[in-house]
Amino acid sequence: MEKCIDYIEDSLAGIPDDGTLYRYKRKVLEEMDARADEITHAGLKDDQVMTDLLCSEYPDLKSGFQKFAEEDRLKRRARTRRKAILIGTPLYVLLLVALYLAVSFLTGHWAQTWLIIVGGIFLLVLFLSGIGVKKLCTMRRLFHPIARVLIAIDVMLVAVYVFLFCLMLFDPPHIWVVLIGGVIALLIADAVFAAVTRQKLAIINYLIYIPAGSALLYVILGGIHAVPWSPGWMIVLLGVLADILVAAGVMINNSRYIYKQEVEDVWNEG
Amino acid sequence: MERRLNAELWDKMHYLFRDFNDRMVHVELRYDFEIDLEVLKTVLICFFEKAPVLHSSFVDTHISTYWRVEDYRIEDVLTVAHPKPEELDDAVDAFLMQYIPPDAPLQMKVAVFYCEGKSVLCLVENHMCMDGGDLKYFMKALCKNYNDYAEKGISPIDLRQGSRSFEQVYSDFSQTEQRMARNLYKNVCAKDTHQFPLTPDSIRDRSFIARRKIGADMFDKIRSAGKKHGATINDMLVAAYFYSLYELAEYPESDSVTISCAIDLRRHIKDVSDEGLTNHTAFMQCSIPERGRDIFETLKYVVRSSNRYKKDKFMGLYGLPLLKMAYGILPHTASEEIIKIGYSNPLIAMSNIGILEADKLALSGHQPYDGYMTGAVKYKPYVLLSATSLNRVLTLAMCVRGNDKDRAIVERFFDLLEENVRALTCGE
Repeated sequence: MEKCIDYIEDSLAGIPDDGTLYRYKRKVLEEMDARADEITHAGLKDDQVMTDLLCSEYPDLKSGFQKFAEEDRLKRRARTRRKAILIGTPLYVLLLVALYLAVSFLTGHWAQTWLIIVGGIFLLVLFLSGIGVKKLCTMRRLFHPIARVLIAIDVMLVAVYVFLFCLMLFDPPHIWVVLIGGVIALLIADAVFAAVTRQKLAIINYLIYIPAGSALLYVILGGIHAVPWSPGWMIVLLGVLADILVAAGVMINNSRYIYKQEVEDVWNEG
Repeated sequence: MERRLNAELWDKMHYLFRDFNDRMVHVELRYDFEIDLEVLKTVLICFFEKAPVLHSSFVDTHISTYWRVEDYRIEDVLTVAHPKPEELDDAVDAFLMQYIPPDAPLQMKVAVFYCEGKSVLCLVENHMCMDGGDLKYFMKALCKNYNDYAEKGISPIDLRQGSRSFEQVYSDFSQTEQRMARNLYKNVCAKDTHQFPLTPDSIRDRSFIARRKIGADMFDKIRSAGKKHGATINDMLVAAYFYSLYELAEYPESDSVTISCAIDLRRHIKDVSDEGLTNHTAFMQCSIPERGRDIFETLKYVVRSSNRYKKDKFMGLYGLPLLKMAYGILPHTASEEIIKIGYSNPLIAMSNIGILEADKLALSGHQPYDGYMTGAVKYKPYVLLSATSLNRVLTLAMCVRGNDKDRAIVERFFDLLEENVRALTCGE
């Protein structure tokens, strides 16, 4: 293995070592050692060939090190983040309770101050769910539906909080429209997620969401008397029309990518 | 820790073909000297390490499939024997006719038979690992590395490595072309019901390789006659194949018949030097509307049919997105069932593996004086005619699981084929 060690040392010469380089070298050497055992078991007897074969499996150790260092940095950062969450979460809850009690005792508005607790908890859930969504997006597409469910929950939590906040503090008429608005926001958020992550067949989502969203918009606008129920239903019709336009646009765009064979069936020639 | 390799689309497709053939690809090369075993062992170990799929077992969990890299010993890969001269051919055939199950720890077996100062190098591998095109490259690389190691002491590690994905065929297309190619959902399958006239299946059937050699003088004649008719050697052979089939199977002259011809999809890849050993083979359907009044008219039909494919920018890429989708969205067993509904294996096929370059297959300065490559042993009623040429000698081979009667039928077919090739080249 002496030649392999020389190869590692020579390839990585000149790189400043903050401990990561040593760990990388150690890792490569251990992998080479294990591979050498396997290849010896297979029956290779020539040491020079063994060395060349092992070294050829690591053609670019410098790039390998850069990747290792980056992964190492990310791992350390993730570890720090996990620690921060582990310590920060109970601390945050304690602070939240303290804030709630302080505001409640100072103002005496116990009937409204519970919104601080609920808002704080929702914020924590949004934060944790955000981390979850970010992680899931880096995983295989198989896990993306879980991210979409989490986003939907987040959007509805915000809508519920806005609803509760408005209800407790202002009690405006037709406050229920906030919840329906939440559902529209949920559809928009899911469509945006599908577009950003380039989901396959996302067009199906759009085609469902556009008429569904326009129907909900119709209910909101009708409910708050912004538009009369009739001919307000035209909004739904416009949604369907928008759907048709989107579908036609996609079809026209896709038609550019339909390959027409340049040669016709020769047996049908006159 | 268990090492796994991705099971690529063509690996899975060839696994699916288990009902139609034994999936083995065969090579036989004869040399007039004794191959150095120690050198060969070293080269083989290096190549197996460079292409770990060769020492992997295929795992089918019904939900998914993958290759599990296995430990091996070179003694399990390489067989060495010293048969008597009269036993040599049988020993070679017995070795070549072996079947390697996909769940075996080794997917390639090699043998060296020493006889009267000569050697026969034989190799059998699972088609799931690589096709004839890459096996040809593998053989050339093996010989080059053998020579470099034996003569100059250069370590035999010069074997291509890289992706085994079928999607590499799209890599040199422009973005628009890629999108077009990835939208080719057309299901291409052989619909012809004409069969090669073999006997019905029997449990007494045994695998055999039937071969026919066409001499160098005839090879040159085929080439020059082909030039006259605007046909390639492949077209000439296919035309003779068609004409012989009509005669052997007594198809009505007015019947349209189709032969599926293997095409190498590497034609779409400009530089294969960073591709892994894999399968990149599809089939084109070469159809003729009728037998034709004579073999020259048959040739005309064949040329028109193959030209039709040659003009196609996406030749051979049809149906790949459909297969990808089927394997991508369903558990493995379910996707196999779905694919089986839409897929029909060609009953009559041909694979022109092409020229085996003797100079590149030379070991220690000795070029092979004889040899050929052939595809899998097909199960009745499917047949595949493989064609290779070495030293301008054309070898036609058909691997069949059948009985003596089937062997006689195949031999009769070769007689007709030879006769028709001669008819095509008359006047040369």
